[in-house]
Amino acid sequence: MSFIADKQTLEDLNLLGKYKPYSIYGLFNKAVTTGGERMLEAMFQHPLSDPGEINQRSTIFQYFQHRALAFPFNREQIGVMEDFLGAGSGNILSAGVVATRKKLMSVLVRDEAYGVLQAAVLTVIKVLTDLSDFLRKLDERESPEVRELGRPYQEEVNLLKKILGDRRLSGLREEMGVMQLPLLKVVRYDHLFRKVLAEEMETILEQIYRLDVCIAVSNVARARGFGYAQALPGENRIFRAAALSHPGLEKAVANPVNLHQDSNMLFLTGANMAGKSTFMKAFGIAVYLAHMGFPVAAEQMVFSIRDGIYSSINVPDNLALGLSHFYAEVLRVKKVAEEVSGRKNLIVIFDELFKGTNVKDAYDATLAVTEAFSQYRNCLFIISTHIIEVGETLRERRDNLQFAYLPTVMEGTVPRYPYKMERGITTDRHGMMIIENEGILTILATEADLKLKLHSN
Amino acid sequence: MLFTTDKQTLEDLNIFGKQGSDSVYTIFNRTTTRGGAAILEEMFRYPLSDEDAINRRSGIIQYFAALGTTFPFQSAHFDAVEPYLSNTDERTKLSAQDHSIGKKLSNLIGVDAETAVIYKGVTALTELLKGTFDFIASLNGKGGHFYQDDKDAIASLLAEPAFAPVLKEQGKLSHATMVEYDVLFRFRHRPAIQKLLRYIYYLDVYLSVARVALERKFVFPRALPKERHLLNLEGVYHLQLKNPVPNTLQITPDSNVLFLTGANMAGKSTFMKSLGIALFLAHMGFPVAASSMEFSVLDGIYTTINLPDNLGMGASHFYAEVLRVKKVAQELSLSKNLFVIFDELFRGTNVKDAYEATIAITAGFAAKRNSMFVISTHIIEAGDVLKERSPSISFVYLPTRMKGNIPVYTYTLEAGITADRHGMVIVNNEGILDILKKGILNSEKTTIA
Repeated sequence: MSFIADKQTLEDLNLLGKYKPYSIYGLFNKAVTTGGERMLEAMFQHPLSDPGEINQRSTIFQYFQHRALAFPFNREQIGVMEDFLGAGSGNILSAGVVATRKKLMSVLVRDEAYGVLQAAVLTVIKVLTDLSDFLRKLDERESPEVRELGRPYQEEVNLLKKILGDRRLSGLREEMGVMQLPLLKVVRYDHLFRKVLAEEMETILEQIYRLDVCIAVSNVARARGFGYAQALPGENRIFRAAALSHPGLEKAVANPVNLHQDSNMLFLTGANMAGKSTFMKAFGIAVYLAHMGFPVAAEQMVFSIRDGIYSSINVPDNLALGLSHFYAEVLRVKKVAEEVSGRKNLIVIFDELFKGTNVKDAYDATLAVTEAFSQYRNCLFIISTHIIEVGETLRERRDNLQFAYLPTVMEGTVPRYPYKMERGITTDRHGMMIIENEGILTILATEADLKLKLHSN
Repeated sequence: MLFTTDKQTLEDLNIFGKQGSDSVYTIFNRTTTRGGAAILEEMFRYPLSDEDAINRRSGIIQYFAALGTTFPFQSAHFDAVEPYLSNTDERTKLSAQDHSIGKKLSNLIGVDAETAVIYKGVTALTELLKGTFDFIASLNGKGGHFYQDDKDAIASLLAEPAFAPVLKEQGKLSHATMVEYDVLFRFRHRPAIQKLLRYIYYLDVYLSVARVALERKFVFPRALPKERHLLNLEGVYHLQLKNPVPNTLQITPDSNVLFLTGANMAGKSTFMKSLGIALFLAHMGFPVAASSMEFSVLDGIYTTINLPDNLGMGASHFYAEVLRVKKVAQELSLSKNLFVIFDELFRGTNVKDAYEATIAITAGFAAKRNSMFVISTHIIEAGDVLKERSPSISFVYLPTRMKGNIPVYTYTLEAGITADRHGMVIVNNEGILDILKKGILNSEKTTIA
């Protein structure tokens, strides 16, 4: 069974999407080749659910992060190689005929096809030579940290070495730096690459994509100072991180999180701009990335494998279907309730539930729903709300809740947000302050006051 | 001074709608001529803020509605006239000299396109002039005084001696007459002809609006002086609905805020839209979907019904609402008399902030006795506080009746604040708590087993 994250959750966390601004995929997508991009996308679409697999992939990224090697190819080279190999070829005779005809055409009418063919053959030769150079570099001087990781990439390296060690490829290095190849050699290599070693070449391309992804992701991790999460089997039911922050933010403030079976629900309060949603998103993203075996914006993160994640952060209303915001949220909560009661081990994030209703109903509904969810010790919850009374009541009734808030520091009338989580419940709310800072009440009042003054005079 | 409104309001009320969809404009747009349609659009773009101008236009439309006349021309006439008049090139003038045998012969076979346009144009204009003359002459009956100025203007335009033979024309025009009229219409008396056409376009608008009023049984509102700050609306309904439910309300300086509550589907937005549309149309001097209406002329209308949030730009819904309120507050501070509608004020934030903000803003609005406000909200608790604080707020709600578990909506306003606690009802109807309880029970069973 694979890790569940539905469309709403993916949108809330802004995970996927190459062209979406600030998506997490976009953050990691520094792949050079299109094949690498494709592979990265596939990883994002299919998080893993096996701790062994996750830890293995995570170790590979760590390995590359320490080695800090540059990806030895550029996009054009690999593109040319893909096109060339993808075209396929017949036997040596037809390859010879085709190449000879192209050569003739180029001599007679300056046709470019032969030039293209020759360039493609030369590109493949260069890529293959560079690749074996790269593999040699990979074997060189390992630092102690790397040695600690073992040799997570050795399998792939051996596979590549085996292919490149083929007797028929031994003469490649001599062709390096040549601008022109004799016709016979073009025919021979063409046939060799496209027919004889077609499958091996396919594997090499695939491995180049993998290398591309590994290097791109580990580069992002190094540049951003990301850490790596350790996956544990599902039974442990824990999530622990020393310093968790939002990977998309440049100057993100990190907060510790520690959820486990006996304290599996975080009840979060704080003012509007205090960073509740950002913290919840950061948590969700870390969970998702960790399940992909990717680097996370956290330190010392340890987590048990979950079956999926559900969030309710920006539930859109669907006025076309006659769904108000409130009803849309209710349906979302219902969906999560069905999943949770199906005894799945989930991560659930609810941001400020039940907005479009009156105060009393919002209180009743938040309390009832939160309490009902908190019975499920196998799931981890983060719930934010402004209705602090719910927190007070829950504190008395349940023992498995943690209470935390994101504070606001007032400097005169200007609020400042430290984004540093503190224990407890806060009464901070700044809706009115935003209104006051915009001066609306003053704008409204002036005229009436003036009139009053005139009257009293 | 112009009647002010903005894009948000036009969109909320669906005045122009999206391309191709139904809108208030399309309901009224039954004009025959393109010129008429353009003038109608102009009227929608620039509602009036002057009592006399409103009553005058309204009077004209009423007059035509009472007469029940239809527009006396067909659109084909105008299709011929418009391209014809737009060609002001002297070289295209018809020429009498050019009327040789050869030309006649070739005309027998087929007139060249340019000449054909001119022939058609001249013929159609001749018809138009004659038709207008007859139409004006046939206009009488009471209530005509609003249209008297226009009527006189048209008559004096047609009284130009040069047009006398045109008006007497019978049957097919000869080439010689064509030549003569062509010069007359396109060059010598061009401004007069254009003025006349403009009057005809206006006539088109008046007649088509009058017909809409007749067919849909709309009433003509009466504009009152600005200083009275009154609105009396009886039986107002939404003109785009099939089976609308009418409602009655009154707004005076002593009760200038309507605090509207009710469940989600109870019809709050529809009611607010129908109010906004009625006010908008009334300020155009147009008929409205109500059984009677009196209103003091206002300086503008601002509605906030479907406020788009700009999450992509980082502005939250709440902030978008705050900025919108600020904009309205600024307009109000210029001592304008406005009609302001806010649907579900501050729905983008948590209930507690919404509660405080709704109280503060509504109380602030209530002090602006010269303007009128309709504010709807879910936060019924805010109403209880406002009742104490501002005497000029009147409280109405759209009720929900429960038939068993199914809500039924009457869509008829009642006085007071709703007691519908629909929030928990919906949560319970969806059985969320049961689902969760069952799940726990099941897992306990399995652990015991």
